[in-house]
Amino acid sequence: MLEKLLGGGKLEKKVLDTTKKYLQILRSAMECLKNVFLTENIEGTYCIDALEREADSLRREIISIIYEGAFLPYIRPNICNFIEITEKAFDALKTCAFEFRYLNKDLFQKIKEDVLRIANINLDMSEILIKAFSALIEKNNIREKNLAIRIYEKRVDEIKSDIADKIRKWEITNFWDGKNISEFIEALTKISDIIEDASDYLYIIDLSLK
Amino acid sequence: MAKKIYEIMNTKLETIPADATVYEAIEKLIDKRIRSLLVLPKDEKDRPGVVTVRNIIFKVLAKNLDPHKVKISEISSKPLITVSKEATVEDVLALMEKYNIARVFIKEGDEIVGVVSFFDIMAHILIERAKS
Repeated sequence: MLEKLLGGGKLEKKVLDTTKKYLQILRSAMECLKNVFLTENIEGTYCIDALEREADSLRREIISIIYEGAFLPYIRPNICNFIEITEKAFDALKTCAFEFRYLNKDLFQKIKEDVLRIANINLDMSEILIKAFSALIEKNNIREKNLAIRIYEKRVDEIKSDIADKIRKWEITNFWDGKNISEFIEALTKISDIIEDASDYLYIIDLSLK
Repeated sequence: MAKKIYEIMNTKLETIPADATVYEAIEKLIDKRIRSLLVLPKDEKDRPGVVTVRNIIFKVLAKNLDPHKVKISEISSKPLITVSKEATVEDVLALMEKYNIARVFIKEGDEIVGVVSFFDIMAHILIERAKS
């Protein structure tokens, strides 16, 4: 639909294919983070930085193809905004991986189960976001994908509140331990917020094309 | 393969002692924004039960009884309908339909480890639809 409506030229196709690749990298980064939590392997956190760099280069490619003239002018900012929203998810993933390197692992054990639940949800959400993007292009039901993402986001909010309840009961005497765990959880739970924003944005693009 | 119920169950179980008053239960339900509480057994011979908003409305409030005076043990539902955490979502749905209940408790051995409500099942179905 998006291709048809906007001409479906070579440049447009390139933008859509590259965006799909970009979202696939986001999904890989989510999987990478989940594996880091499972294995508690610090070295694994560096895969996020590598994937972020790869995504960064794709993002620049997408923006430059749009600058070359892909899509009608009124749709260009929408695609750019969508890419910029998802870029924030990479920032949150990177912060999360960085904080994990310095996290007090005894404290981590106490919330590992909740953290893994969030990581699993983030991964599922990124998969649904890819499907939502495909649904936008193929003019399928994007509303259902958007709803599922909202359900997942609420679930993450609930888990975040459970974690906060647990953490408030701990006596953390080391400043850095407290700062690390606080920033780690903030970044981890922010990912689902960003994916929800990206999904909402796709939904708005879908509505604006009707 | 059918999804196992432990993958979607809610592990945060809110409990209340059997000798608490209905008013205490109401306060907890409102504070936590939930619709049921697991009622702890009175002693070793007793079994856990559940008290729901439905129980409170029909057995206390609609009858103009004083929620400060009625004990939870007088209105809770027993025995709990439970399934193993290895049961499938379909197994739980079948139980809900058979007993006309809105939630099923999940057991691991003898311990209750979670609860699944209609809302969790609806969310699960919607997510699966979005994934397909």
